[in-house]
Amino acid sequence: MSTTDLARALGDLQEDEVVAGVGERIAAGDDPTAILADVQRGMEIVGKRFEDGEYYLSELLYAADIFKQVNEPLAEKLASRETEKLATMVLGTVKNDIHEFGKDIVATILRSNGVEVVDLGMDVDYEAFVAAVREHHPQFVGMSCLLTTVFDDMKNTIAALEDAGLRDGLQIYIGGGPVDESLVEYVGADLYCRTAQDAVVAIKRHLGVN
Amino acid sequence: MDAATQRLLEEKERRIRDAVALKTPDRVPIVPLGDAFTARQAGVKVSDFCTDPQIAYRTMIEVFSGLGELDGIQHANYNVHLLSTIWLSRLKIPGRDLGENDAWQVEEIELMTPEDYDAILDEGFGPWLERYFAERLPGTAEAFAAFVATLPDAFAAWREKGIVVFSPVLATVPYEYFCGGRSMQQFMLDMHRRPDKVQAAMDAALPFLKEQMRQVIRGLSLMGLWIGGWRTASEFLSPRLWERFVFPYYKELVDVAIEEGAIPVLHFDADWTRDLERLLELPKGKCVLSLDGKTDIFKAKEILGDHMCIMGDVPPRMLSLGTPAEVTAYCKRLINEVGPGGFILAQGCCIPPDAKYENVKAMIDSVQ
Repeated sequence: MSTTDLARALGDLQEDEVVAGVGERIAAGDDPTAILADVQRGMEIVGKRFEDGEYYLSELLYAADIFKQVNEPLAEKLASRETEKLATMVLGTVKNDIHEFGKDIVATILRSNGVEVVDLGMDVDYEAFVAAVREHHPQFVGMSCLLTTVFDDMKNTIAALEDAGLRDGLQIYIGGGPVDESLVEYVGADLYCRTAQDAVVAIKRHLGVN
Repeated sequence: MDAATQRLLEEKERRIRDAVALKTPDRVPIVPLGDAFTARQAGVKVSDFCTDPQIAYRTMIEVFSGLGELDGIQHANYNVHLLSTIWLSRLKIPGRDLGENDAWQVEEIELMTPEDYDAILDEGFGPWLERYFAERLPGTAEAFAAFVATLPDAFAAWREKGIVVFSPVLATVPYEYFCGGRSMQQFMLDMHRRPDKVQAAMDAALPFLKEQMRQVIRGLSLMGLWIGGWRTASEFLSPRLWERFVFPYYKELVDVAIEEGAIPVLHFDADWTRDLERLLELPKGKCVLSLDGKTDIFKAKEILGDHMCIMGDVPPRMLSLGTPAEVTAYCKRLINEVGPGGFILAQGCCIPPDAKYENVKAMIDSVQ
């Protein structure tokens, strides 16, 4: 399967075609980095269609799941090499909130767009965010919640990062059901992302990547 | 009940019915909903509130009757197990799994498997559901039955206070059940990978859900009821999937409710803006569209103003973090732009647990 065919097939959510196409190219001895790049081009088509209102979360998740499936054999081939990642994000649902679903979507979508995600899970203590930022040196931190009662926990997490001297140079993105633009200032974040794709776009824009 | 209270109830009920029929009542009716908020305000442990329906409705009545002149209340009572009955999910319950004043939460895991679609087709939805609760959510059916048993007393107690019980029961489409049971991520993959199976299971579930709703409306003589939409919102799925797995099922539930003389309150959380025009297919002047602040309510008025009563939508965030002046200003804007005819003022979704008392009061007082 040619470069454009593979990207197009993923863009069109043709699961069987994508899986078979990647399999054929691995069998033919194609460079796994090149195959991965084509698959990522397919994810870009999906992202573009999402932004244009043609695709929705239902398609974004399906594409990411197809990506995950074909990425496994590629990742094995690439394991011995240093793969290029776009950026790292430390991500979690804030303390006192156990709603993981939105956060999991963000992790899935970011990973399929080349972002390494350090997923801290849910009900994440302030100190756990601090420790993860210290350990992984991410450019981005993502925080999610579904409860209005934990807005202060989001605020306190960011304050804890500040107190630890880690806030400078860090982009903090927030999202979740009750979150909106107005919360950015209240909690001291940098950006509100309404969708997972918003986070992809914001990360690329921040890094100056097309 | 004394004659004055009876008259007051009739007056309020007429005000709400006028709004539903797209008329302009003497003033915009206010019909809120709050649960854990009332527990916090009354100093009742959330763990007691959410598991004991007697405590729940008494607490709700105590707090709401002190908040000003309500026309109606959406739900007359609360019990945390209700969440399991519509989303087929396990819960984290205050006092059991969480601190006694923490917020209850739905645990979104894959409790339902792809094989369950076949089981629904083989066994029928009703028997399957009974088995599902017994095996995977033990205690749910019993807790739900105990809750339902308190409803007649709860309704009477609200009415004694001169407050109309508007939409105290909730129904929803098969999508919400399956999506909750499968987890949203897996369910969305199911709609792509096994669409025919999902649809067959939905088609098997719908007659049961319609009949159950019909019996509840009759048994409790309901004025209205919620037909809820959460994960079915337009913002989550493509038009192709929405047209196939969502809208046809709502249409059928709405028709049954109207046939039984109840007002379907489309309690639609998240963003439905894309599909507002599709709601023109529902009967005119019979339904209420209740929005949570995520759908553009002004756009809804523009599209549906001559067709469907609109309800909402003071954002939960504003009730938690805003000021009374902000709340009043937003309510006045709603009353003038979305009302005064064909409009019911309420919070978006539910008053959040940490809403400020003075903000909720500002919302209620704003209709005067």
